[in-house]
Amino acid sequence: MMAIPVFTLHLNYQVLPGRITIGKYDGSHCCLTAATTGDKVLIHSPHKRDKEFSLLNINQNITALCAGRLNPEEEKDILIVGTKGSLLAYHVENNSDIFYRQVPDGVNAITIGRLGLLENPLALVGGNCSIQGFDAKGNDPFWTVTGDNVRSLALLDVDGDGENELVVGSDDFELRIFKEDAIMAELTETEAITALAAFRNNRFAYALANGTVGVYDKLHRSWRVKSKNGTECLACFDLDGDGVEELVTGWSSGKVDARSSRTGEVLFRDVLSQPIAGLVCGDYSKAGTSQLIACSYSGEVRGYDSSSINKDESLQMETVRDLFAKKQALLLELKNYTSDPSSIGIPANTRLLTEISTCQSSNQHKGGHIVLALSTNNLTVIRAVTVFAEGIFNGETFVVHPRLNEVSTSLTVPLVPPKDNPLDIHIRAFVGAIPTTEQLHVFELTRQLPRFSMYMLSGPASAKTNSTLLQTSFVSFRLSERVQRIDMWVNQNFLLPHEYNMASSTVNGGGGGGAEWSICVTSLRDNAPLLMMYDAGKLTVGTENMSLAADIVQSLASYLNITQLQTYAEFPKAFDQLKDCLNRVAELQQNATKMAASVADSSNLIRSLVVQAEDARLLQCLKDMREFYTELYQVNEEMINTHTVRRNNHEQLLEALRQINLIIQQAARLRVGKPKSDIVNFSRTAIANNNINALIKIIKTGEV
Amino acid sequence: MLQESLTGGNLDPLYCALSHYRRRNFEKCRIICSELLDKNPYDQVIWALKMKSMTAEVMVDDIEAEEEGIAELVLDNDTLAQAPRPGTSLRTSATAQTPGQAFRPRGQSGRPISGVTRPGTQSTAATSLEQALKTPRTARSARPVTSQAARTVRLGTASMLSQPDGPFIQVARLNLANYATKDNISKPLFQYIYYHENDISNAMDLAVEATKACQFKDWWWKVQLGKCYFSLGLTRDAEQQFRSALKQNPTIEALLRLTRVYVRLDQPLSALDVCRAGLDTFPGEVTLMTEMARILEGLNNIPASVKYYKEILQKDATNIEAIACIGVNHFYSDQPEVALRFYRRLLQMGLYSAELFNNLGLCCFFAQQYDMTLSCFERALSLAVDENAADVWYNISHIAIGIGDLRLATQCLQLSISVDRNHAPAYNNLGVLEHNRGNTLQARGYFQAAASLAPYLYEPHYNQATLSSTAGDLQTSYVVVQKGLKAYPAHSGSQALLKELEKHFSNL
Repeated sequence: MMAIPVFTLHLNYQVLPGRITIGKYDGSHCCLTAATTGDKVLIHSPHKRDKEFSLLNINQNITALCAGRLNPEEEKDILIVGTKGSLLAYHVENNSDIFYRQVPDGVNAITIGRLGLLENPLALVGGNCSIQGFDAKGNDPFWTVTGDNVRSLALLDVDGDGENELVVGSDDFELRIFKEDAIMAELTETEAITALAAFRNNRFAYALANGTVGVYDKLHRSWRVKSKNGTECLACFDLDGDGVEELVTGWSSGKVDARSSRTGEVLFRDVLSQPIAGLVCGDYSKAGTSQLIACSYSGEVRGYDSSSINKDESLQMETVRDLFAKKQALLLELKNYTSDPSSIGIPANTRLLTEISTCQSSNQHKGGHIVLALSTNNLTVIRAVTVFAEGIFNGETFVVHPRLNEVSTSLTVPLVPPKDNPLDIHIRAFVGAIPTTEQLHVFELTRQLPRFSMYMLSGPASAKTNSTLLQTSFVSFRLSERVQRIDMWVNQNFLLPHEYNMASSTVNGGGGGGAEWSICVTSLRDNAPLLMMYDAGKLTVGTENMSLAADIVQSLASYLNITQLQTYAEFPKAFDQLKDCLNRVAELQQNATKMAASVADSSNLIRSLVVQAEDARLLQCLKDMREFYTELYQVNEEMINTHTVRRNNHEQLLEALRQINLIIQQAARLRVGKPKSDIVNFSRTAIANNNINALIKIIKTGEV
Repeated sequence: MLQESLTGGNLDPLYCALSHYRRRNFEKCRIICSELLDKNPYDQVIWALKMKSMTAEVMVDDIEAEEEGIAELVLDNDTLAQAPRPGTSLRTSATAQTPGQAFRPRGQSGRPISGVTRPGTQSTAATSLEQALKTPRTARSARPVTSQAARTVRLGTASMLSQPDGPFIQVARLNLANYATKDNISKPLFQYIYYHENDISNAMDLAVEATKACQFKDWWWKVQLGKCYFSLGLTRDAEQQFRSALKQNPTIEALLRLTRVYVRLDQPLSALDVCRAGLDTFPGEVTLMTEMARILEGLNNIPASVKYYKEILQKDATNIEAIACIGVNHFYSDQPEVALRFYRRLLQMGLYSAELFNNLGLCCFFAQQYDMTLSCFERALSLAVDENAADVWYNISHIAIGIGDLRLATQCLQLSISVDRNHAPAYNNLGVLEHNRGNTLQARGYFQAAASLAPYLYEPHYNQATLSSTAGDLQTSYVVVQKGLKAYPAHSGSQALLKELEKHFSNL
């Protein structure tokens, strides 16, 4: 299992994690390229004998690094360097810029390749809620917004149609798959997605901030494993030479392991002394084939290929370990059988009953929540419950075990899903005959939480009082559908005390007959009302929360198989926020320019002071020297203060830009199909022209 | 006829001021404007005219006058690549060789000799602050502390002049946002602040406001903004502005400034690309071709550079820089007769300077027109002032060596040193002459003096190394020859010496 590296070398530089790439800058030789501390990019060219290392001064924090063939007419790779406010495409061989662009949204991840049917390869750049694609001339033909800050990107053909799709992993735990500028699928994970890697055969691997690694085959998860160590980087490489790529993971513990992409079985392992900063593949030992190259934080580099795995020895060790584990398990089982037979089992007909309902507030849990009530149908008691669900609890699992004197036949578990997503809850209840028994029966069952489970049906009175919402803050669209179908959607997606059946009766909800249909629910999160009314072929969703409205539109559309939907939206709160953000951005950008100028001015002063002080030192004129250094000290203090102000300014700017992108994204999600992608492009033009009113009109109507 | 009185009798004073402005009588124009402003301080026409005339008084072409200061040289790292491939950088190419070209000697400022002396092309040999400061700073090779200081000295002289009733405009008190919206006044005001007051940060504030006021649609403001960014050292921002301005309206000024940005970033190939793209829009534009030829010369790609200079001469037959550079190239490619024709052309064009006669004299000598040689040098000496004279005497010493009069040569070199005590090549040659005479000790002293004055010259190092090695001081020889190889890695004599020494040491 342990692997022997083909080569090792040391870069002698501290390497920043995740910012490592490999490129053929002269068209034939691979060069390992890494961002180092001190805002420099290190290029290691093993083929140049006396000038192996060369450094590029970037002078800004490097946030992302990628090399690839951006220009289809040239064999040579181009290096793309991202900083927090700019993107630089650099031709290493010619020592010349391809382009330099300011990217106010920041650069968190870069990937290079062809996307969909777009003509040229693009450098795709993920920033704060936005994704931009630049071609070799520095134009950006691709731009779209996404739900949260982008952490990782991968280009691959997910659906097998021969065209690449873009997989985007972001901070809100979502994996979004873009087919050109339309979202093809959204997959929810349990943590921020820190790394993505593309396999050849419609598969991709992902890594989460909590140490989970997994593989998706098309849109289905094949497997995943979780480790207590953090995953630093991923790579796909055929290490054992069987023609199938393995998933190689670099861990924060310094471990590198390769797993079979189909089963997740570990095939190979090695440990470096420092956390792994990056994994790349390329021909580095002039062998004619690629190697897997792992680089640690301290700049230690190891290369592996199929000759690194020593199979015979590892197989034997592994078998011994497997058999030993099996023996342990069998021994334990035997002990159970031989234990005291007098202990009481539970009756054969014991069943575990579950009930899921909503609750405003209770002793155990302040604020609205969902109650998962468990009870047994006889006198047996529930000793403990473990609830496993993705993304609800910290660490995925929640255990309830009451004190011995409080154990009873029933148990309630409060659940608060932070987002409106359908959830699978896996419950394991430990049931015993009496509370003190040592041996317990485990009941395993799975329940589903509907998408909008955090909403509680409210009475007719509340429906009346909030009915103005349908005129002030709403989204409405034409829908030619039978009322029964909408009923079915409601019953499937909301957690209601009883079947909602508006079509046949007019007893529940707000009342009203004929084609009119309405429902009023209250959010358990913030007690905000949500109203829906269907009248004369028009559905109106009244809520102050734009993202909730967007969720409802998307859910309805997918349930009713609507492929194209244009809506009219009116969200005064969001619009006010948008206006506010746009104004703030203008102001903050102006501040930033001014401050940058003053900083440049001071740094010029510092430069001349340093030179003058040094001059005085060489001339042995210590009095002058002291004066210069005193002045230098003062200017320096000033610079540090300005820097703090500048940083705050920048953070505010980022936040404002993020808000704008978010609102546009939600506006897009209020539509389905072509109007959805149109709205992003229209909004972009409006923002470029700084036309706030046009932007709001676009968000309202979906048209220019 | 206008009378001697400034306002010209009954003429309208405004007309008179304008007329003075057109005839470049800026001072008179300014005086009239001041009088008029005393009567009506709110007259914007006169205010603007006064600003324009005051600006025009001190304005010089800042594209040509650009120079990098010591601070930028040593402390800045605008340049992206620290060790770029040879032939892609202006910094490493000083020693990079193109085949077929002899190693051109270096001038006093330490850069390979070119046809013309221009700022901003001084050698970047210094690697540490101490070395940069210790390099002898004469009137010719001195560098400003920072590039902004350079500009302050050159252009901003006006800001040092005392004005009797305080400054004309108190820039700090202006409401820049207000003036930025007034299209007719904002531009002269900007130029006044930038060129006359040399207050870059306020000028930039104005430019920022003004671009905003015209909704980012005026390319002129973008170029000005780029200028401000560039002089503040924000090269990347400057690049953005120039590029954006070029997209709106291609102008030669913006193109030139953009190439300067890339030269500052040490990306000569990008700079050449910009020029090439510019030549598509402005075919046959001489300034752009000159820029390209200069960059190519900096890359030591002399054949390509000369090709552009020749093209320039096709378009503009009186371009002095092109003629001089082609002449130098011919001289160093062993064609003094052809070089002579170019220098004569310069003479025909009315150039009358010590340098020119000096070059003519050298060309005549090497072209074996001995009758003209001495008269040329005589004229050069009569025209030469101080430091030029050192060079002229140095060249006359070459003639003396050529005709075998070593006594005369020694005298010439000593004269050269007496004029300019930092003339390193003269020390070196004096050393060689002393060595021939058998005064080894004295010769070594001269070589050491030359090497300490100009570490960028390889000759004194090589000479000293050879001297030491023959004297048996192999250790010194080994150390010194390595210094020489640092200055000129491809020098075969030094390489052979080093190899021999290494062989010798390994035998031990």
